[in-house]
Amino acid sequence: MVRMLEGTTRSADEVVALAPPNLAECTVEKVAVNAVMAGCRPEYLPVVLAALEAVCTDEFNMHGVLATTMSVGPVLVVNGPIAAEIGMNSGINALGHGNRANSTIGRAVQLVLRNVGGGAPGGIDRATLGHVGKQGFCFAEDEAGSPWDSLAGERGFGSGQNTVTAFCGEGPSLVMDQLSRSPESLTRSLAASLRSTVSPRIVMGMDAMLVLSPEHMSRFRDAGWDRTRFLAELAEHLMFDTDRIIAGADGIEEGLPVALAGHRLPKFRPGGLLVVHAGGPAGLFSAIIGGWKNGPGGSDPVTREITP
Amino acid sequence: MHDIDDLERRGVPGVFVASDTFTDAAALQADALGLDVASVFVAHPIQDRTDDEMAALADEAIDALVSALTGS
Amino acid sequence: MNTHEGTTVLDPTAEQRPATRERTARPASLSGLTVGLLDISKPRGDVFLDRVEEQLTTLGATVARYAKPTFTKPAPADLRHEIAIQCDAVIEALAD
Repeated sequence: MVRMLEGTTRSADEVVALAPPNLAECTVEKVAVNAVMAGCRPEYLPVVLAALEAVCTDEFNMHGVLATTMSVGPVLVVNGPIAAEIGMNSGINALGHGNRANSTIGRAVQLVLRNVGGGAPGGIDRATLGHVGKQGFCFAEDEAGSPWDSLAGERGFGSGQNTVTAFCGEGPSLVMDQLSRSPESLTRSLAASLRSTVSPRIVMGMDAMLVLSPEHMSRFRDAGWDRTRFLAELAEHLMFDTDRIIAGADGIEEGLPVALAGHRLPKFRPGGLLVVHAGGPAGLFSAIIGGWKNGPGGSDPVTREITP
Repeated sequence: MHDIDDLERRGVPGVFVASDTFTDAAALQADALGLDVASVFVAHPIQDRTDDEMAALADEAIDALVSALTGS
Repeated sequence: MNTHEGTTVLDPTAEQRPATRERTARPASLSGLTVGLLDISKPRGDVFLDRVEEQLTTLGATVARYAKPTFTKPAPADLRHEIAIQCDAVIEALAD
């Protein structure tokens, strides 16, 4: 415990956040106790502290994330030099198990919310199904291998800054495309999968995170596409004729209100698709992490700088 | 329930209505708040109900709502 | 924190036990009182509250309707303040 507290320069009695749902004062010491239980090394503690600051904001709305019956939880993406310094994995199996930092940072955050905040599963946490990432879901972006600016860069931070971005998401779902050789084809293929994120009948109300693997990214790198070009081309294939997805269309009662018939709407609100580069060098697969209700009534992604 | 807890602190008697799948969650939240928040539970589900079914749920709940607010 | 035979046990919880409070005093009847109906803004709750309003009006109460911006967060402080000064009792619905 003493060694864990040496992982940060912040004093043990400093209040990091008010942990929902009970809005309990969460001190550095309480975070450290839970970080020890999660299996963190002391050098992970600053990441855990920043992640808690991110999720305990009004924008992230952790209380709502806990209470919803939807199967979502915090997905944490680490950017900056600290990821390599503490041995985080952004490569093979980046979203999976086997790396201590990836496995324990998110776990520590979940333990704090449960033990300090009082948000226990089956109690205030009402998820119908939940997902395995609610054990803790944290990974690093492969910045060195990406031709694009990082997620944190996209969100206004410098490349030397250490940050953690919290996104409210489901478990990852694989997108397979092993045949596309052109960026145009791969973009259409990714869009086809993204259209059904959370529900093929829902548009704009939920964000998503797309984790592009290195081999998929190489299609865009080789063609000279930057992030802006990619997102613009993708957006063209993410438009819906609302007639096809209103309640009752195709014999499905779920859908947009009938009053919205006759429009064309995008799958995602502006800025509602977060793109991250991670994964092993081989494999023409990417992943989609569906979100929860976005905006002031739901959860917006939040990025916080990691300080010592 | 945080809202009712707050309004009770301000001296306004309150009652919270939820579907009956939230009975245990409400009890846990009440414990955490330190106030036995008056609650009335109606039959789950809610989201796919017709207007008539919603009105029937309200009719069934009204006596419990009144007694939660009047203590009678 | 507990210390036992040289071993210190740290508590991972908030170690908070809220002070238990009693409900505020209830009126004998709602007749002649103003009852606030606070819609948490989940779908269908408004239909439920429409009927509750009819029933309360029949019982002689005056009804004032409110809605919070989102069911996923507590109501804003100014809305709670408004209800507190305008109403004698409040019903919040409908969480599911």
